Amino acid sequence: MGDASILIVHPDRKTQRTVQRILGVTGHRVDMSDDLEQGIRLMQHNAPVLVVVDSTAALSPHADAFFRAAESHGVTSIMTLIGAAAADHVPKILGLGAVTNLLVHPMPVLAEELTVTAQKLIRRDIFGAEKYLLWGTELNERTITRSTQRAHIVQEISDAVRGRGQSARVASMAMLVADELISNAVHNAAVDANGTHLRKDMPRDIDIPLEGRDSVRLRWGCDARYVAIEVSDQYGSLKRETILASLSKQDVRDTGGGAGMGISLAYRSCDHLVFNLAPGKRTEIIALVDVRYPPTERMPASSYNVFVEKLS
Amino acid sequence: MSRLTVTPEGDALVLSGSIDETADLMGLLGRAQGGLLVLDLAGITFINSLGVRDWIRMQSEATRGNIAIELRRVAEVLIHQLNMIIATRGTARVTSFFAPYACDGCGREDSLLVDAVANAAGLARLEPPAMTCPECGGQMAFNDFPERYFSFLSSPST
Repeated sequence: MGDASILIVHPDRKTQRTVQRILGVTGHRVDMSDDLEQGIRLMQHNAPVLVVVDSTAALSPHADAFFRAAESHGVTSIMTLIGAAAADHVPKILGLGAVTNLLVHPMPVLAEELTVTAQKLIRRDIFGAEKYLLWGTELNERTITRSTQRAHIVQEISDAVRGRGQSARVASMAMLVADELISNAVHNAAVDANGTHLRKDMPRDIDIPLEGRDSVRLRWGCDARYVAIEVSDQYGSLKRETILASLSKQDVRDTGGGAGMGISLAYRSCDHLVFNLAPGKRTEIIALVDVRYPPTERMPASSYNVFVEKLS
Repeated sequence: MSRLTVTPEGDALVLSGSIDETADLMGLLGRAQGGLLVLDLAGITFINSLGVRDWIRMQSEATRGNIAIELRRVAEVLIHQLNMIIATRGTARVTSFFAPYACDGCGREDSLLVDAVANAAGLARLEPPAMTCPECGGQMAFNDFPERYFSFLSSPST
């Protein structure tokens, strides 16, 4: 943990300093680079736990060499920050398939989101919606032991969100993401020893008992910033590559087709989607719906994070 | 979540509840009259990805079978899908829909019905119709980005 460093690649000195001030509070070394070439040189001396790359640099012709260098130096987390004005870059960033953490943010940069991301990586402690909620926020927990509980639980969440004074729009978004995440955990998580998905092709309206390892945990809470919905399974079969491919799917928008539509729809229906992966053990997905802003002040695109648990 | 119910009312089928894996949307096509299927969607409270797939399949089948679809009083949850997934629009014609409004005076937020035919010219210019707050009588403002919320109207078929 003592050797962890963070690398920022951004051409704008003011943004460099802002990001450095935020990430510097982690107590870890923060290296800054004006361009990708300099960033590659810096990576040769320090293997950063997190690389923060400007979206313009990430989309430049030299980015591929940078991403390859990062991979060869064991960098597994690459973050891109996008301001609201550059939100039209998001589909291109998604299409790269190399950016594991995207924060679409208002200016100034969201200190909380950046800090949480860095701390999760540095401390190697990635699980739990608590990390995104204010202290003292209660998380309601349910264990799903039959697939047919989904509809009832989703309605329960919607009613509770409305009951806590949130708008119909927020309740509707919470319903949709809860439904898709539970459905994903129930039908796509279970795999056999060969990695074959056991329930993927089963009709979604039949009753499936979910005992032991097959049970799905749902937790949700609201702190007047976010409604957070966390769904976890005990298979850990969801892969980083599958997530990045699902998020970048354009045919979902064009045709509504293809595998991974549920994840893609959940991403487009919340403000921030977080994937915490412990391969072979656990997958946890957290959807955050921002309740602070009316639709006219919401970011035009959503953030996401993919974290993979590293064993010490 | 309540299952989808379908009730005939005048020339329309009134749909209420959830469009999910239990909804049989294809079955609606057989209830078209004179090659026209009119759906009143004000009562739709939820649609998930499986419902979206079924909706797209219904639209495609209607196009193949030369059945025109008119969508009336489309709920906001469906408008979001029409905007997010282009294929959900099919060749359907939206004649009225619900849209989010907020009152600057008293802070009330509402989903209000917009007549897409009577307001077609204004909507094409991305100008939402003026609405009066039912609570304080003040002017309500459209509570979303017009270019985002009205993008379903830009489909060539509508």
